[in-house]
Amino acid sequence: MSSRSLAPITLVLALTVNGCGTTALDVRYPEQGVNRALLASVAPRRVQIGNVDDRRLETARVGIEPGGKGEIVTSRSVADIVHEALGIEMSKNGHLLVSDRPDVVVRPAVEVFSLDAVEGYASVQYVGRVVIALTVADGRTGDTLLTRRYAGVRRRQVDKPDESQWREVLDTALARAMHDLATDPDLVAALGGSRPSPARPAA
Amino acid sequence: MTVLAECLQPDPSGENCGSRLGTMRALVALMKLRPGVLRRGGSGVLAIVLLCFWGCASAPAPRPTAHPFDDVRRLAIIASGESSFSIVGHHAEPGRTFDEILAWYPTQAWMRPLAKLLHRGINWALELDQTATISRRVDDIAPRAIVAAAMAQKLRASGWFDEVRTLEREPTAEERRADPIVRVMVPAWGLVRVHEGDPDLLASFADVRGYLMIPGTGVVLWEGNEDVTAPEQFPGDSFMKDHDFARQEVVDVLERAGQRLASELMYARSAGR
Repeated sequence: MSSRSLAPITLVLALTVNGCGTTALDVRYPEQGVNRALLASVAPRRVQIGNVDDRRLETARVGIEPGGKGEIVTSRSVADIVHEALGIEMSKNGHLLVSDRPDVVVRPAVEVFSLDAVEGYASVQYVGRVVIALTVADGRTGDTLLTRRYAGVRRRQVDKPDESQWREVLDTALARAMHDLATDPDLVAALGGSRPSPARPAA
Repeated sequence: MTVLAECLQPDPSGENCGSRLGTMRALVALMKLRPGVLRRGGSGVLAIVLLCFWGCASAPAPRPTAHPFDDVRRLAIIASGESSFSIVGHHAEPGRTFDEILAWYPTQAWMRPLAKLLHRGINWALELDQTATISRRVDDIAPRAIVAAAMAQKLRASGWFDEVRTLEREPTAEERRADPIVRVMVPAWGLVRVHEGDPDLLASFADVRGYLMIPGTGVVLWEGNEDVTAPEQFPGDSFMKDHDFARQEVVDVLERAGQRLASELMYARSAGR
């Protein structure tokens, strides 16, 4: 490979790292950490996950670097990250992801996906927040079975800040929202095709 | 080469990705300065660079430790430990101003620790005053009992357990033999500054721990640490001027903390299976 042919690759890599004042985080929901949980207690269903509606007030970035030095973004779209996380959780719990003739349709929306930094004197506190809204509908009738929000928040104080902590904070906030979702008995009922008990108010 | 070897080590926590990015910058700079490197081993260097990236991308989020405990059908929850209410301001001032002043006196190194001490003292006094104002309204809240009750309620709702009891005192010898025990602790709870701005925004918080243990054996089946923060944020005045509102917010976050512990316990129940 010649130096001339490598130059564009080097440039792309350098831009990826430095990002012209923008830091791109590879936020993701790790498949190897996903367990079969309450969602597996209903018989396997054909689940269609619709496109994620990005309802965030600010979609261009997820945060600003401490000291306002640059913007923090995700390397993939937030909608893709959330869609992938839901797909992993559903399939790991034995449900079949389909694009036609679904038993249930899950329509997700992401309302918050943000990282805040509060600078102290000798430390920085990061707060990552992820709010995912889900609507679950009957695949045949289209009737809405459940509408619910799942919020994951991670707060972390560090003495020696570095970029890897930003991703950990958002990864953990996403994982907490997903774990709340995976252990919600009302979502299990909706996946099974029934409405949740009225005794438990929707979040 | 040592740096490259460190870069290629697996990094499950993802904590070292920042230093990897630094290594990447150094490699890119090296490639720009030494065209010969590109000719002779450009693809090798590129492969190492890409491996560094790959190592960062696949790092999983930290998770609580757990052994599978699908067979546990009865639980007793007991709250223990000390809990302290506080308002955590996490302020940069006046420490930064002290630093700016000290920059004019670089030879006076002994003054720096003194400035740090003064910064801590001033903020401690300010937060103590705010804490005292609100804590009068939340004095009768039993944080551990609220967390334990919320956790029990969520575990019962799952249908996974035949019985979930909350104990108000240490279990008797007979009770200890009967069921695995979840020990719940709430070391800190209160209000924390979560957003810088005009005005700053605060949220209620609770730091909680939970352990699922087999009594009499010392075996820990599950352990969880959760920094629980309310998703909603409000100006500090909302809490300082309306103590009923402050009270409701901290009760809500304590309930949320109990539900979070329950979620993580249930999520870990069949871990690895």
